[in-house]
Amino acid sequence: MAATHAAPADANARERRNQWIARLLSQETILIVITVIAVGVLASANERFLSARNLQREIVLIFEVALIALPMTLIIITGGIDLSVGSIFGLSAIVLGFLWQDSGWPLEMAIAAALVLSAFAGAVNGFFIVRVGVPPLITTLATLALYRGMALGISEARSARGFPDWFLEIGRGDFLGAPLQIWILLAAVLITGLVLARTTFGRSLYAMGNNELAARFAGIPVSRNKWLLYVLSGAASGLAAVVFVSRVTTTRSDMGSGIELDAIAAVVLGGTSIFGGSGSIFGTVLGLILIQVLKNGLLLAGVRGDATTVMIGLVLIAAILLNNAFQALQVRLTAAQ
Amino acid sequence: MNTTPLLELRGISKQFPGVKALDDVRFDVVRGEVHALLGENGAGKSTLIKILSGVHKPDAGTLRLDGQPVTFNTPREAQQAGIATIYQELSLYPELTVAENIFVGHAPRTALGLVDWKTMTARAREILASLNIYDMDVRKKVGTFNVGNRQRIEIAKALSINARVLIMDEPTAALTDSDVTRLFEIVRLLRERGVAIIYISHRLQEVFALADRVTVLRDGQYIDTQPVRDTSESALIAKMVGRTIDNLFPKLDTKPGAPILQVNNLVREPFTRGVSFEVRAGEIVGLAGLVGSGRSELAQCLFGMLPAQSGEIVIDGRRVAIRNPGQAIKLGIAYVPEDRGTQGLVRQMAVRENTSMAVLKTLAMGGFIRRGAERNLARQSIQMLNIRAYSTEQVAGKLSGGNQQKIVVSKWLAAKPRLLIVDEPTRGVDVGAKAEIHRLISELAARQGIAILMISSELPEVLGMSDRVLVMREGRIIAAYARGEATQENVGAAMMAAGTKQTQQVNDGGQA
Amino acid sequence: MTSLPGTAKLERERSAAAGRGRAAGWVTQESVLAVSILVLSLIVGGINPNFLAQGNITDILSNASYIAVAAIGMSLVIISGNIDISVGALIGFLATIGGRLAVGAADGGYWIGWAYILPVIVGVAVEGVIGFIVAYLRVPAIVVSLGMMSILRGGLILWTGGEWIYNLPPEFTLAQQRVLNIPIPVYVMVILTILAALWLRYAPAGRAIYAVGGNKEAARLSGIDERRVLMQVFMINGLMVGIAAMLFATKFNAIQSTVPPGLELLVITAAVVGGVSILGGTGTVIGSTLGAVLIHVIPSAMIFASISQYWQQAVQGGLILLTVLADLYRRRRQTYGKG
Repeated sequence: MAATHAAPADANARERRNQWIARLLSQETILIVITVIAVGVLASANERFLSARNLQREIVLIFEVALIALPMTLIIITGGIDLSVGSIFGLSAIVLGFLWQDSGWPLEMAIAAALVLSAFAGAVNGFFIVRVGVPPLITTLATLALYRGMALGISEARSARGFPDWFLEIGRGDFLGAPLQIWILLAAVLITGLVLARTTFGRSLYAMGNNELAARFAGIPVSRNKWLLYVLSGAASGLAAVVFVSRVTTTRSDMGSGIELDAIAAVVLGGTSIFGGSGSIFGTVLGLILIQVLKNGLLLAGVRGDATTVMIGLVLIAAILLNNAFQALQVRLTAAQ
Repeated sequence: MNTTPLLELRGISKQFPGVKALDDVRFDVVRGEVHALLGENGAGKSTLIKILSGVHKPDAGTLRLDGQPVTFNTPREAQQAGIATIYQELSLYPELTVAENIFVGHAPRTALGLVDWKTMTARAREILASLNIYDMDVRKKVGTFNVGNRQRIEIAKALSINARVLIMDEPTAALTDSDVTRLFEIVRLLRERGVAIIYISHRLQEVFALADRVTVLRDGQYIDTQPVRDTSESALIAKMVGRTIDNLFPKLDTKPGAPILQVNNLVREPFTRGVSFEVRAGEIVGLAGLVGSGRSELAQCLFGMLPAQSGEIVIDGRRVAIRNPGQAIKLGIAYVPEDRGTQGLVRQMAVRENTSMAVLKTLAMGGFIRRGAERNLARQSIQMLNIRAYSTEQVAGKLSGGNQQKIVVSKWLAAKPRLLIVDEPTRGVDVGAKAEIHRLISELAARQGIAILMISSELPEVLGMSDRVLVMREGRIIAAYARGEATQENVGAAMMAAGTKQTQQVNDGGQA
Repeated sequence: MTSLPGTAKLERERSAAAGRGRAAGWVTQESVLAVSILVLSLIVGGINPNFLAQGNITDILSNASYIAVAAIGMSLVIISGNIDISVGALIGFLATIGGRLAVGAADGGYWIGWAYILPVIVGVAVEGVIGFIVAYLRVPAIVVSLGMMSILRGGLILWTGGEWIYNLPPEFTLAQQRVLNIPIPVYVMVILTILAALWLRYAPAGRAIYAVGGNKEAARLSGIDERRVLMQVFMINGLMVGIAAMLFATKFNAIQSTVPPGLELLVITAAVVGGVSILGGTGTVIGSTLGAVLIHVIPSAMIFASISQYWQQAVQGGLILLTVLADLYRRRRQTYGKG
């Protein structure tokens, strides 16, 4: 308001200070602090925790959730959500096994078909959301049932087994000295992170999440972008499923059920607003790390695996509450003259 | 007129984090009076209203109702004291019925404590009848009514709590002219019944048409209270702005060049039904018409939001097809939309991100935004349009309405358009910024040869700024005037043609 | 609808109003659902008359009942503009509490009634916590309930180790009892639906839920205490989930102490299929109950129509999409050109 016009130099200094305060009190900072504390405590309690082998194994374990959480971050930033990822995951796994074992396709072809199908399943979501105008939550709730049902129907509760060794290498073998999952994930994180933070496409996602109509008026291809994101989300689920099948050496129609909630939890824990408009890949990565650190650390400490589920729930709520408190604090600090 | 104040405020101050919203302000209103409250955006009007209606508590000062000191801790307490507020964003529930909306929070109950639908319906009808409103089915959902009708429901809601003081915040902002007329009738009716009315508006004509007294606020300070008949428009503007504005419409002379835009028989049912016109380089074409006459829809048709079904759009002599805003931007068309809040600005994003939004591609290399270039653009925009922002990183939504509008304009200037369409360019903008925006538009046409199509509901703006005036009605252009020929009378008459019949239909609007 | 001279806007309103006039009567989501259920039943009954046998119909209704009761609570939550994805976990959690208490009561020591009452109280308490965090600490409901789901799921397995509870006393088989040859859960479902529908329509607190879900800011300015309304909504949801859990727990002679997967989605689906708008502010519990019945009629119909039961869920998903589309189409026509 006009009553408080300050001298420009002053104002600049203040603005810079406010930006620092905002950065210090962000969800990312909260997460880094919690993660560092958790790692510290767990590492001192158990020397195996920080070993390279253990860390590699942990990344392999969270690979599927992580790969799905990346496009999920983008989708949630635009104000959408994709609940069908777990079902696409299951459907891809089943189709892969079915085409190879029952229809006698070469395995390479079956893999390709599963990947194409997963992207197509995402495109169907996109169609209903973009063209028909069904809210994302409802669309993907319905396709969650639909795709899972198709997985059930195609598999008829049978599972595929006896995959050739070269296929099992994907999920279980090493590549350049580390599990393949690590390389895929590294590339995926870097690419989505850069795209979101630095490109025109990434910027347009934030604009869409904050004010979709204004984004349209600014010439941003809102429909195309949304469609692309849901296809991406489907394809990521398919890729995750292929790697997962290779790792566990079998297919089942209930594979991946509930994975959507794990992915969403990681995204939200990472500070992405569930209402859209803000968030980052860095935050999501931190969220994923914290979740896996808790799971693994408590396991190594001899606590039952299910206690970690409780912990994750508590941390999720606590982190958001802390974030709210910090936001309020930030408003107070930056408003002070 | 009874001169003992019904409601009186003295020495009211209110501090928000970082800003003194009100500083020792006084205000009073008597029975049977319309007291207008004037001030630019940020002058403290909204804060004052919120204190009156119990949303905020003042840090200092006293409120007296009937001479008795009172304090309101919640909106409900203020309502119980007989103070009703009609906010700019109407506070109705589209999914509830008219009767329910009128009685929301204090529905009549049966002996069992349940909602008494029968009594509620009957009393809702009575209240509407007392406002001479007989054409509204109180059992229908509010979502099915138009803005004018919704406002009448708001007024009925105020009467349902036996309001003695009625506060109206910019009640005409979204109304058609005939709805405004009807609103004025109702306000006068209430005044005769002894209701004290506090009326906030940007439109000075309304203040003169309706108000008995007027109080001006500026920068949270009380400036002056006067009977309306003792003052003039220019005097009020000077008080609001704190300086005299010599010319609200600084139109420069211009020599129109070749046609930039030619439109032939453009159709997009049901709002655009065969429109033909042209806009030349350096020319400002004003597009007048009632709300709903199809002006904004025509603009959105040219901009690709509502792509044309048939007809011809010619840009620089070349026939083009425009299917989406992206194509329009490539062809050098820019559109400053009607509703800044929902269509123009991304309020949560920084000034920098807003100014670059329409030209991100040109600021990028291989899809990556060049940050330096983006920041430079934002700095240039702030400087060129005199945007009062602390830095390029300031959140756009925190600026005043005028500055927000300048950001939207700068976003489109960054696209270096050949044709600039501005839709209600100064709606909700205070007088100072209004003059600046007018000067800018005028300079863009005269100095840079940009073709400008200006849609406005304010006739003085259309008449003051345009080289030519087109009038639209029912999706067609029905009249055109050169700068010298256009007058308030002939343009107004063209807009309203078949006027009586139309008024009738507007009144029927919510019914079928 | 004749095209009289008038502004485009007028026409827009006119045609919108006319569209509403046609649709506002009997074409509601409730009637669409009721007709779908009837038509589907008649078709399948034509293929296989056993489908319409009284035993099968009461079976379907009985199976639908606990989802329907939970969906009543969910409808309130969604109408208020929130969502609760912890209900599946909560049902499993409360059912286990009930089962353990029942076994304890059978061993002597206390009254069997506690096995019914305490879980419901716990349900109200848990939802009360969610409501408090949502209403007073301003955390989005989807996040709070996601966290709560995690806590309940993990907590349950931690507590029971996933063991089954056997040896339930005969007093803990409420859902298997019949009155007038109709299973008790059906009565519970019908009575609670009617009560909730009346409450939503006639209780001022019920109306306030629509207000809060439709226009939060406006509700606050009208003097409605939005936070109290939200607390109420979540606690009633807890009550409904508690009752649903008891119907679920007493359905069989043993209780599996894990959370039935996907239960929360089934409950949300029932509400959404029933016409409760996910955006808040609109919907009815009669719709959600019909929605719950429809999603249980489908699998049964498939069995009787000799369609592979493996495809049940897929058909269910497809039909959900279909009803939502029908609802969307109906609304579109009603609000054509609104604004």
